[in-house]
Amino acid sequence: MAIIETKNLSRHYQDGDHIIHAVDKVNLQIEAGEFTAIVGPSGSGKTTLLNLLGGLDSPTEGEVIVDGKAIHQLKDNALINFRLQHIGFVFQAYNLIPVLSAQENVEFIMLLQNASARERKTRAQELLKAVGLEAQMHKRPAELSGGQQQRVAVARALASKPSFVLADEPTANLDSKSTEDLLDIMHKLNQEEGITFIFSTHDQRVIDRASRIIYVEDGQIKENH
Amino acid sequence: MKTVLKIAWRNIWRNKLRSAVVVCSIFLGIWAGIFVSAFSFGLNEQRKESMIRNQISHLQIHNSAWLDQKEVAYTFSATALDAYLNKDPRLEAFATRTKASGMVSSAHYSGAAQIIGVNPNAEAALSHLEEKLTEGEYLPEKGRNPVLIGRALAKKLEAKIGSRIILNFSDGQGNIISSAFKVKGFYKEVSSKMEELNLYVRQSDLQTLLGLEPMQVHEIAALLKDDADIEILQQELQAIFPALAIQSWKQLSPELAYADDIMTQMLYIIIGIIMLALSFGIINTMLMAVLERRKELGMLMCVGMSRTKVFSMIMVETFYLALLGGPLGILFAYYSVWQGSKSGLDLAAFSDGLASYGIDSVIYPSLPTSFYWGTTAIVFIMTLLAAIYPARRALKLNPVETLRTI
Repeated sequence: MAIIETKNLSRHYQDGDHIIHAVDKVNLQIEAGEFTAIVGPSGSGKTTLLNLLGGLDSPTEGEVIVDGKAIHQLKDNALINFRLQHIGFVFQAYNLIPVLSAQENVEFIMLLQNASARERKTRAQELLKAVGLEAQMHKRPAELSGGQQQRVAVARALASKPSFVLADEPTANLDSKSTEDLLDIMHKLNQEEGITFIFSTHDQRVIDRASRIIYVEDGQIKENH
Repeated sequence: MKTVLKIAWRNIWRNKLRSAVVVCSIFLGIWAGIFVSAFSFGLNEQRKESMIRNQISHLQIHNSAWLDQKEVAYTFSATALDAYLNKDPRLEAFATRTKASGMVSSAHYSGAAQIIGVNPNAEAALSHLEEKLTEGEYLPEKGRNPVLIGRALAKKLEAKIGSRIILNFSDGQGNIISSAFKVKGFYKEVSSKMEELNLYVRQSDLQTLLGLEPMQVHEIAALLKDDADIEILQQELQAIFPALAIQSWKQLSPELAYADDIMTQMLYIIIGIIMLALSFGIINTMLMAVLERRKELGMLMCVGMSRTKVFSMIMVETFYLALLGGPLGILFAYYSVWQGSKSGLDLAAFSDGLASYGIDSVIYPSLPTSFYWGTTAIVFIMTLLAAIYPARRALKLNPVETLRTI
């Protein structure tokens, strides 16, 4: 069963007299365990598509079904809670909470889920160990390199035990070595633990690792293999 | 909630200088507001006490007709009242007075005078007249027609101790009485106007001149030990002596009672205005903090932090700023007022102006304890109101717009 399914998904914006079809009648299915890259030129609509899949944006038309739930019908608070329970996010600019340590950043998501203190601590340490940051657990984001911050962001995205992780240009701000390290970690999590990753990216190194590539242009899927 | 509190606490110290400025402004604003309020309250209390102790007392009893027209003829017999009041343990002191309005003159000056015949011992206990002497001696038991005059009047009359002055006044039948009095002493009052107007003579001398019986008086003034008993005693006496006019200080001096009644309300208004000004500073600071962290707040909502928690976090941050500055300001103000109430603030440079209003030049700031609680409530309410707008701005953030990309 697909964990994500879209039916005639469209997102239109009004720009003066013109209507921009950022996403136009997209039908898509993503199965559990995929390592999918959504690629395409700038302005092609891949970020809008990712936002719709993550419930961050509302479709103009069509449906988004995640884990069997039509999330486009959910109200604001229900949608926030759905995201918390089902979706992990990795942002291009890391977006860690600067006043919390790496471990506290990872624990924060579980705290929102009302996990116990013991469970939070154990899982946060396991995840940070999995992304190779056991020695940096107590450092704040400002004390970490960009690559290390993005690894904390991956650990945070996984902390809630989501159905899948959405990552928008996760390597855009990283150097080559950090990019390779991050991709190794995510690929390993995908292969060994079956975690589903969906990227939007321009980065050829990410595309090379992907098990499935969805090419988007003018808001429509042009290639899907 | 614990983590929201923790994040909020750390958030306010991201920009230490900005937060410190806000905390200091709240601290100074509240401290200054309370201290100014304590000064005003102390000033008003001293003025009230001075008026009550020196002029009107807590209760005054007159012939009812005296209230409409202060004629010498409107006396009453103090015999029964004297006996009643002497037995009442609630009284601190009381004294009978005989009064006459007239003129005082010397070779150098002539002016209006209020001649007050007093029982020297009773008056000393009631208004501490003896302690107000700056020169000479108190009204003696013996000797012909002694008089005490104020320093200001002595200056105008160019009178010295032992000088003779002439008092002119009319008796109950309209006969003009002119009599020489020997100046025995000069007294001082907080009000120079009172020094110029009031002259104190022995009650027996004045009664003799007016042709009154020994217990025929114009006024009985009484001070009570406890303010709470004033109205009770007033009602009791009125019931026993229905023909007499028995008035409390609030009836005798409505403007003083009104000032007393509205003082606390005015002080709360002062604090409210100060807090209103401070709350705009708080709103500005928190709004800047929210706008600076739009992306971070958007991310928190993206990953699953409910809008209620985001709202709470901004509210808590605002409260932290107020809770740091507010209680410090209140405690420091409490200490300052306590110190000021012991040593007093000497405003000798303005003593003449203050004296004309019946106020001593040393002001002792004071505040009722309830005012500190009231101020705490105002700080809490104003902070709550100041916190709402920035928190609502945070709520209205669109996560996608703040992040641009997920």
